[in-house]
Amino acid sequence: MRRSMILSAVTAALMAGTSVAQAEDVILTAVPHQTTAFAEVYNPFNQTSDVRSVRDFMFEQLVVFNRLQGGKPEYRLAESFEYSDDLTSVTFKIRDGVKWSDGETLDANDVYFTFNLIKEHPALDTRALWEKIDSVELIDDSHVKVNYKEASTGLIFDVARIHTVPEHVWAEIEDPVSFTNPNPVGSGPLTEIRRFTPQEYVQCRNPHYFQADDLDIDCMRFPQIATNDQTLTAAAKGELDWFGSFLPDIEKTYVAKDPENHKYWFPGGSLVIFNLNMNASEEGNKEAFSDVNFRRAFSMAMDRQAMVDIAGYGYPTINQYPSGLGRGYHAWNNPEADAQYGQYTEYNIEGAMALLEEAGYKDADGDGFIDTPSGKPIKFDLIVPNGWTDWVNTVQLAVEGLNEAGVNASVSTPEAAAWTQQLLDGSYQGAINALVVGVTPHMAFDTFHSSKAMASRFSVTGYTNDELDKLLDSFFKTAEESEQREIMNEIQMILSKDMPHIPVFNNPYWYQYNTARFEGFFSAENDYAVPTVHDGNPERILHLLSIKPKS
Amino acid sequence: MSFIIRRIMFYLVAFLVAATINFLLPRLMPGNPIDIMFANAGNSLPPEAKKALAETFGFVERPLIEEYFIYLKSVFSWDFGVSIKKYPLTVMDVLMQALPWTLFLAGTSVILAFCIGSLLGIYAAWKRGGSFDSVISPSALAVQSVPALVIGITTLYIFGLVLEVLPTSYAYDPSIDPGFTWEYLSSVFYHALMPIGTLAFVSIGGYLITMRNNMIGQLGEEHVVMGHAKGLSDKRVRYNYAARNALLPSMTAFALSLGSVMGGSLIIEIVFNYPGLGNILFQGIIARDYPLIQGQLIIMTLAMLTANLLIDFIYIFLDPRLRKA
Repeated sequence: MRRSMILSAVTAALMAGTSVAQAEDVILTAVPHQTTAFAEVYNPFNQTSDVRSVRDFMFEQLVVFNRLQGGKPEYRLAESFEYSDDLTSVTFKIRDGVKWSDGETLDANDVYFTFNLIKEHPALDTRALWEKIDSVELIDDSHVKVNYKEASTGLIFDVARIHTVPEHVWAEIEDPVSFTNPNPVGSGPLTEIRRFTPQEYVQCRNPHYFQADDLDIDCMRFPQIATNDQTLTAAAKGELDWFGSFLPDIEKTYVAKDPENHKYWFPGGSLVIFNLNMNASEEGNKEAFSDVNFRRAFSMAMDRQAMVDIAGYGYPTINQYPSGLGRGYHAWNNPEADAQYGQYTEYNIEGAMALLEEAGYKDADGDGFIDTPSGKPIKFDLIVPNGWTDWVNTVQLAVEGLNEAGVNASVSTPEAAAWTQQLLDGSYQGAINALVVGVTPHMAFDTFHSSKAMASRFSVTGYTNDELDKLLDSFFKTAEESEQREIMNEIQMILSKDMPHIPVFNNPYWYQYNTARFEGFFSAENDYAVPTVHDGNPERILHLLSIKPKS
Repeated sequence: MSFIIRRIMFYLVAFLVAATINFLLPRLMPGNPIDIMFANAGNSLPPEAKKALAETFGFVERPLIEEYFIYLKSVFSWDFGVSIKKYPLTVMDVLMQALPWTLFLAGTSVILAFCIGSLLGIYAAWKRGGSFDSVISPSALAVQSVPALVIGITTLYIFGLVLEVLPTSYAYDPSIDPGFTWEYLSSVFYHALMPIGTLAFVSIGGYLITMRNNMIGQLGEEHVVMGHAKGLSDKRVRYNYAARNALLPSMTAFALSLGSVMGGSLIIEIVFNYPGLGNILFQGIIARDYPLIQGQLIIMTLAMLTANLLIDFIYIFLDPRLRKA
């Protein structure tokens, strides 16, 4: 008796994931976030919640700009938008006939209400919109006009990303910051929470979804998974349909378990760079880091191919653009920058040594490492968060190259929080870092704008350039593509010449999928949009709508 | 009586000291929660929004000393504020979610390890030098020196991944709704087998060795010789004369581990993805969730001190000399 009970429990555990809801429902299993336990928070403004299927899937954005399609607008709640002639305001036309999941009408009033809600509660304004917008006007039931503080064609990437909430629910909420939104009323494809436990929840179809015809999934199931190892265990058993996680030696550990269906695609994402602190407190380091010749030699000592192949298991995309542009933005590339400065991103230890020698660097104190032209010692740590193994190995390779070129560099692995802190307070010497990539290359390059200096962990080199500031400012002051291209060419020239950061590769977008039950996944052959399921990838809504059960 | 009062005073002071360290420690760590929360967002948060957020989490710029008294008040009123990582949940909500699992996991394994370890220790001492003793005692020492992590990962690999007879993760099957049903309870039991087994296994050795050594000491005592001389049965001498006295030091170790149960078993919880306190504390530290860290450490401190206090009282009961002190 007892034996059979345990046996039935065994079977139940092995079959976990198949018996969640009614048999006829199409349930897609995804892991957008690793956590130790889920707690019910369906507030789309909440940044800390472990429930990462609220934005996009429960609350839609106005417009999604498709990064892999050169920023093509994919209209969601808005049906179109139009700039004023001077580019200082944008008017959104909200789609007709959209309903909230409770059946109420969704119109411009809700959008207008949401903009004001985040103005009234700055803690909700996590994209810092009200820094740059001046006012919002309700034109009529289907038009909202957003007035900017100054002309911009780039601000829309942030503005259109607002997650509109229903006025008829949220107007009565006293404190929307701590509101957990226990009975969510949303606009997205999946608004109904069918089942919730700390270990798993199931989020199902919105009965009034405006794009219901394109939605072939009835529910998404989100199992709680805390680490990459657990992801791998579940994935190898074929329990996950759509996820994105670092899996070591993926061909062997994941693909080989079911080569027909276990697949992955790692398009190049965030830009991985080395930062050298030009305001370092040690005189020798400061002198060297502020010298473009040293930075070029640093760059030439980087064995980028080895970093990609050895440290990154071949997953990242090598980046040898002297400006750091990256293959994802190749359409913007300025070939002149490559021609003139491309040699500095080629792995070439002798070249690096020759360059240093020519610039006056030599071993003055006889310790076996070079010193600055004025004779001060150069000695620095490159910091990398401990446990980020691919990065730690990358830095290891960087240090090997630097030591070979006669530079006294070493690896230091503080805990992630300490790494962030050292970047933010400028107490680091050198560091590996990553820049978030936006719809255009402007987002990554704008981290060098003098107004951004030390404001985030992305702008920590201390490099500024007035000319660059002006170019960066003017980029979004025009809607002409040819003009933007010209500006971007000049920006690349400046960054290639000064090399304020040293690009090495682009991190992959982590994305794995399983075609045993579903089809229509984005892939290298069907590279329509950034495919990740993670919160923070607005295009994931497009992906969800393209996934279909296998016929 | 004065002994009891002295002890209680001592624990009060100890609690205050622990609470103070608990206040200072997280603040000595580099990094702060708001920066970490937004460190990976592509946009930089303007100072106003940052300040507004900080205030919602209860971080108002104040002198440290003032903050300390506010903290003390919150400790004594048992209100630890809201968790940052799990905002808007309160620290209590977060901890209470994990507490039952930790009590179950670590409590069961400590009791199991204590009972099994002590019984084996008694037997090994009684037949010291025999074949049982010469196998079990060295192996106990060996097992004791293997880290829980190694044993945890090995059992996970063998039973979970190769043989696939035990679940590798979760406190119960995620597709079962919690409730007082046989299906749920058996699932909980089944999912706990490996973590509890591992935890108990690694600490059995310690109890076995302590018990064996105390027992051997006791066996040479005159009251044991007299027990034998009186013609009492072996069993009676073994348990009532020797083991009862030998148990005292083991009790202390037992009480201390019961106290530390509240800290959770970090490694085992991570390896088996078990939703206990250790895991929560670890996540809290990474996110610099000060309120959560403080709440958890206070609970741990209290549990530890209470366990000690209880042991003091039990000693009074067991050791008549203390009653006169």
